[in-house]
Amino acid sequence: MTDETLVTIEVDGRELKARPGAMLIEVTDAAGINIPRFCYHKKLSVSANCRMCLVEVEKAPKPMPACATPVANGMKVKTRSPTALAAQKGTLEFLLINHPLDCPICDQGGECELQDVAMGYGAGVSRYIEKKRVVSDPDIGPLVATDMTRCIHCTRCVRFGAEIAGIREMGATGRGEHMKIGTYIQSSVDSELSGNIIDLCPVGALTSKPYRFQARAWELTQSDAVGPHDAVGSNLYLHVRRDKVMRVAPRGNEAVNECWISDRDRFSYEALESTARLKRPLVKENGKWRELPWDEALDLAAGMLKGAGAGLKTLISPSATLEELYLAQKLTRGLGSSHIDHRLRQGDFRNDASPALRWLGMPIAEIERLDVAVVVGGNPRKDQPLIGHRLRKAAMAGASITYINPCKFDLNYGADQQVESPAGMVKRLAGLAKAIGVTGELVANAVVDDQCKALAGQLKNAGKAAIFLGNIANAHPDLAVLETLAGRIATATNAFFGFLQEGANAVGAQLAGAAPHRLPGGKAAETQGKNARRMLSDKIEGALLIGADPALDCWDPSAVRQSFSNAKDVVALTAFRTRSLESCANLMLPIGWFAESSGTLVNGQGDWQTFAGAVSPIGEARPAWKVLRVLGNLTDVEGFDYQNSAEVLNEVRAACEGVSLDNAIGEGCLDVQFKEGPLTRIGYVPLYAADVAVRHAPSLQRTANAADSALLRVNGATARIYALSSGAPISVCQGNGEAQLMVCIDEGIASDCALVPAGLAATGGLGPMFGEITLEKD
Amino acid sequence: MINAVKNYIGSLFLFELFKGLGVTGRYLFARKFTVQYPEEKAPVSPRFRGLHALRRYPNGEERCISCKLCEAVCPALAITIEAEPRADGSRRTTKYEIDLFKCIYCGFCEESCPVDSIVLSRVYEYCMEENGERLIGKERLLELGDKHEAQLATDRAEQAKYR
Amino acid sequence: MSFKSAPMTTIERRADKGSLFTPEIRAQIDKWVAKYPGEWRQSAVMWALRVVQESNRGFLTPELMDNVAAYLDMPPIAVYEVASFYSMYELKPVAKRKICVCTNVSCMVRGSDIVVGHLEKRLGAKLGQTTPDGRWTLKEVECLGACGDAPAIQIGNKYYENLTPEGIDKILDELE
Repeated sequence: MTDETLVTIEVDGRELKARPGAMLIEVTDAAGINIPRFCYHKKLSVSANCRMCLVEVEKAPKPMPACATPVANGMKVKTRSPTALAAQKGTLEFLLINHPLDCPICDQGGECELQDVAMGYGAGVSRYIEKKRVVSDPDIGPLVATDMTRCIHCTRCVRFGAEIAGIREMGATGRGEHMKIGTYIQSSVDSELSGNIIDLCPVGALTSKPYRFQARAWELTQSDAVGPHDAVGSNLYLHVRRDKVMRVAPRGNEAVNECWISDRDRFSYEALESTARLKRPLVKENGKWRELPWDEALDLAAGMLKGAGAGLKTLISPSATLEELYLAQKLTRGLGSSHIDHRLRQGDFRNDASPALRWLGMPIAEIERLDVAVVVGGNPRKDQPLIGHRLRKAAMAGASITYINPCKFDLNYGADQQVESPAGMVKRLAGLAKAIGVTGELVANAVVDDQCKALAGQLKNAGKAAIFLGNIANAHPDLAVLETLAGRIATATNAFFGFLQEGANAVGAQLAGAAPHRLPGGKAAETQGKNARRMLSDKIEGALLIGADPALDCWDPSAVRQSFSNAKDVVALTAFRTRSLESCANLMLPIGWFAESSGTLVNGQGDWQTFAGAVSPIGEARPAWKVLRVLGNLTDVEGFDYQNSAEVLNEVRAACEGVSLDNAIGEGCLDVQFKEGPLTRIGYVPLYAADVAVRHAPSLQRTANAADSALLRVNGATARIYALSSGAPISVCQGNGEAQLMVCIDEGIASDCALVPAGLAATGGLGPMFGEITLEKD
Repeated sequence: MINAVKNYIGSLFLFELFKGLGVTGRYLFARKFTVQYPEEKAPVSPRFRGLHALRRYPNGEERCISCKLCEAVCPALAITIEAEPRADGSRRTTKYEIDLFKCIYCGFCEESCPVDSIVLSRVYEYCMEENGERLIGKERLLELGDKHEAQLATDRAEQAKYR
Repeated sequence: MSFKSAPMTTIERRADKGSLFTPEIRAQIDKWVAKYPGEWRQSAVMWALRVVQESNRGFLTPELMDNVAAYLDMPPIAVYEVASFYSMYELKPVAKRKICVCTNVSCMVRGSDIVVGHLEKRLGAKLGQTTPDGRWTLKEVECLGACGDAPAIQIGNKYYENLTPEGIDKILDELE
């Protein structure tokens, strides 16, 4: 913006330049002039109802609210004049009238905006001696605690619900003295972003339930961290007291997570103290687990790994840190094997020959500026909540968003949701490709309907368009075809092409070479090992599991069960001791998770975000990179003499010099291999089953989002064919596995398909995420 | 020269000795103020800062709400508090520990307490035989509070107007 | 509370609006909806609530408010906000005759306390209560806009002003 278009105002004698139409408070905030406020928040609409930001504006008859006063040329503002101060003091006195004096028992005490402003602008003593009002506290779920008597009606939480979370569940009912913020009828606030109202609330009315009364603000030390669950890589602050993570808060970063974080990132820290944490090395002897000291355990592990040698199979979580991924592949390859993979839930590996280093395809912040977005097989609202939020912002700004999914998802904005069976998704994408003018065998035979034509028109005419493949596409047995088609559509329409990948470090895993076809730096491997799916096709003799719980984290749990039954020499590096892991592993070594280890995560847009460990690992657990380093030494693999994780990182960095992420699939594959049966399973991993840590975070598991996940969802027509009724128990059979679920009739599911969640203990006995299933009534 | 002669004469006639005996003689007949501790005890100020105690309300409810202000204000870092919601939802301590070796008896904890829960009592007779005894926990502090409540309440009431 | 000057966003508009309320009620609401620009259906919420309340013996239930929300493409909480803000909406069952007593400044200065006292004594019900025989409901309301002739009460659609205990007796006797 040129200087001429800016207006000049004077605040407290200082001359400031401002964009016309900007609110006064934005300008003063940018200039570092402090004006007290409660209801104003830079990411929310202006409501101007707390009146705390009153300032004196020359020639205005009365003080004006800075948050709702647009700047005008030549405006003269005094923020600390007697008039302004008197107005602020008066406002504060009224705000404090009904505010209880319970700071000593309030979790906000010590970090409370009202406390701070009362100290700075209020009177020392209250003149109010009448009765104060009391408001009953609604129960709004297991994450947010309410103390509504403390509420000062700033309505930030209400506006957050309406404008950011997209679900307006809270509101201000009643009038005057009787006004209260709540849900009116008892209901919980079920949003994947609900925890942010804790940060927004300027007083202690909305506080964190898991953190309730655990610590005071002044006891906590703050350290940086990165969200360990999704490809956003949200920037976090860990608040630590006496070597224990007490809570997690967002660290503002406009390019990544703005000032929000998802509930999964905010509350998963509880898993650090889970009773399921593995604290000492364990070895299985005659079917019983025995504790053993580290040195013995490491020798045993080294022996197992050496014994496995070239047959070693390494499965590593896509949320592991870059250092862990790199060392894991170095160790595996050093032992002569090249069977390593992080793509545990991927359904199709036929595009491994392509040079693509998959990533989001565009900066996260650009998503909100898209005009057209097509999401194929994914639900970013739940899978990558903050990417979902960016898409919502785009939709609110007028973008048209289209979903091609096997089921309809509950979205918080209007979108065109095209529901197709898994095979139908491929056909529809082929139809779209044909409508756009892509050529190819599969495309030539595709049917082009009106919806395809309309979408093709949108993509062609859009200024900024993108096509994303999500988690469902990732597990799709024809992923290679979906990728190839989507890539060609994107090229033909000049749209961005991106992957919403699973795990927090899928990009990092490719860069570190933790895949059978990739070496560090993403170079193609000369000797390709077996991928995650082929590793499970025959008996396991010698395996290394890192951060993965194969039965729940892999695409095909039944294959895991078969290949791991009576397997020998399975070493698991794990932070959690789970029943399914116990059945797979022979030796479990405890490792640190999240805040307990230093490391680097590469998010979807390719940011390398390094963090230090904030607390010491529980029990005798050790950071995984250290365990891998020692295992490297003990197995006599070259080059394992690292002193700290930064040395590992530097080595990866050197290998990645000049490497750029690229989604170009190249030749690709247009050979459809998936055949649908009479009833097809759609495997979808619910929000709070995504990884082993989330599954052990108690508060998240108590949410409504987690509670309604163990269901078999079918639409009414399919339910009639199989005579299913809503709420009835049903046995689902797939291959030789079986699961007991409740039926839920959901008209959003494609016909002849059933949504059967994956990643849950209840469905851990079933087969692949996509495949034929049969139903048996009890 | 003259001083040397004076000193010589003074020491020859034991002048200093008789002067000292004079003081002794004076106190021999003066009013006695030696206290025969432990049979007798000196009076103690209501502001005396002795052993700590945690008080209760008359209905038996403990006063402490675990606001941790005493922990924050303690210059010797002698107080350790852990808190969590009690079954009825109220904020209570699960651990309240004072390290008597660290404590410097400054009374800041009492000053900072918004509910007059932690107090320094008039008790000054306590000793420890083992190292671990220097840590006194919530149970013991409440016990001390219960035992001395009458005295503590009168002292606080008496001093209220000066605080 | 003020929001962006745009209609509240609805994720999914209720398709089967025809199944809500009776055709007569829908016709009445539609008459009010028609007075506002197309995207501002929500502006008709106050009249819609009024129509629905009259059809339900003078009070609203959460289900009825949910239906109004669905009919006008609003989030239900936004309807609860409106219904709980204005004193002419009843959220609990009321008697057929409702006496609304203004106790705001002008009426208070001109003796609304006497009016309230007299009404409570005569009817045997406190403010906000219904008489034991279920014939009258006494309600305290905010300013009726009749400050010029305070103190004032409203019964049904009619205002009674410049009240005295004797005047009240006369009015009630007539209505009994």
